[in-house]
Amino acid sequence: MVTALQASGIAKRYGPTTILDRIDLSVRRGEVVALTGENGAGKSTLLRICAGIVRADAGTVRVGGAIGYCPQIPGVFELLTADDHLVMFGRGCGLSRDDALRRGRAILAGFDFPLDGSVVSRDLSGGTRQKLNLAIALLADPAVLLLDEPYQGFDRGAYVNFWDHCDAWRRQDKAVVVVTHMLAELGRADRVVELAAHPSRTSRGRR
Amino acid sequence: MSRLGRILILAEMHGRDLIRRHAALGLLIALPLSFYLASAGSGGAVSSGGVGMAFAVSGAALFSVLSSREVDQRLVLAGYRPVEMLFGRLVFLGPLGLVIGGGFSLLMALMSGPARPWVMALGVSAVALQSVAVGLAVGAVVPLELEGTLVLIGVIGVQLAAELHSVVSKALPFYGPRRLIGSSLNAHGPVGGPLLQTAAYGVGLLVVTRIFVSRRVDIARHDLLD
Repeated sequence: MVTALQASGIAKRYGPTTILDRIDLSVRRGEVVALTGENGAGKSTLLRICAGIVRADAGTVRVGGAIGYCPQIPGVFELLTADDHLVMFGRGCGLSRDDALRRGRAILAGFDFPLDGSVVSRDLSGGTRQKLNLAIALLADPAVLLLDEPYQGFDRGAYVNFWDHCDAWRRQDKAVVVVTHMLAELGRADRVVELAAHPSRTSRGRR
Repeated sequence: MSRLGRILILAEMHGRDLIRRHAALGLLIALPLSFYLASAGSGGAVSSGGVGMAFAVSGAALFSVLSSREVDQRLVLAGYRPVEMLFGRLVFLGPLGLVIGGGFSLLMALMSGPARPWVMALGVSAVALQSVAVGLAVGAVVPLELEGTLVLIGVIGVQLAAELHSVVSKALPFYGPRRLIGSSLNAHGPVGGPLLQTAAYGVGLLVVTRIFVSRRVDIARHDLLD
């Protein structure tokens, strides 16, 4: 299979704290990778570096197409509706208003999002906001999906539905990285990559 | 999608966001009105109204930056350029400031009877536009709610407190608009100079905003795999 994301020798420090030390991550097209590890292991930082929104101190990232990034905390405007977000983010990636709405609403419908155009995101439940967050990441039909605990606030049905979507994205030949703590579902990923906390961040390393 | 189309869509969304903030919209009008009415009858009523408007419009600009702090980088990731995000805010906030300033100028012209109402309208418009530039710059340089608000209060408060032609006053962004408003109260007084000062300071503030916004929302563009 063709490699879609290749991160090599990634290093990142925040002040005296080493977060990532020469980490490699490679994901192929049509592969779902679960990225696990204890709190502070640097999973989100690695994903943000792969997305490009944080710069690594060392190392390179190469990609095989557009990236869709879903942050852990929904990056949405409190007083804009789902439709507003679809139009705004859709325009960014070159979609017309109609195309952005059509494509976005179809994605949201797939997540059982309540399609009421008048509700602003502040008034949505946590799980529903997260569905919008996920839909924004998918809007440009990216080749690489970087999802940082994208199911936060999902109920059981929505959570199972999320992993069904992972199967669909695999069939669509997308490369998917999911940061997860939900060990019960790791069997639905093709590969599990465990990120260990750097020794400088553990009690033993600090001594 | 053209660059203009992207700027307009951002302006539209900033507008939608602000229109849904009903209390903020009310305060945008009530604040300068309160400043003006509280000092109505005194010689400084027009200046006070201008300062009230500076607080209101620059506050709106500041919070338009701060409210999208979590989203800005994601917008860049989606394909927007930082400069488009800056212009998107300007295209919405500039006309908004001018509309508020226009209504306010009319009220002050009727109540205070300045010698040259058109110069006063020019001065109030200059306050409105400079306030947008100040709010955006503060939001870009100090992207934290409390700190940014305190800087804004400090700048406008010192501008109000300082003697008009003092060194401190000349170093602050509303010196030009204050001179214009002062000129409107009598038959003579400079207009072109204060306008140029306002424009130069405003452009400088936008350049600073551009630099800081770009640094904050910049993303790494990865090389493509073979």
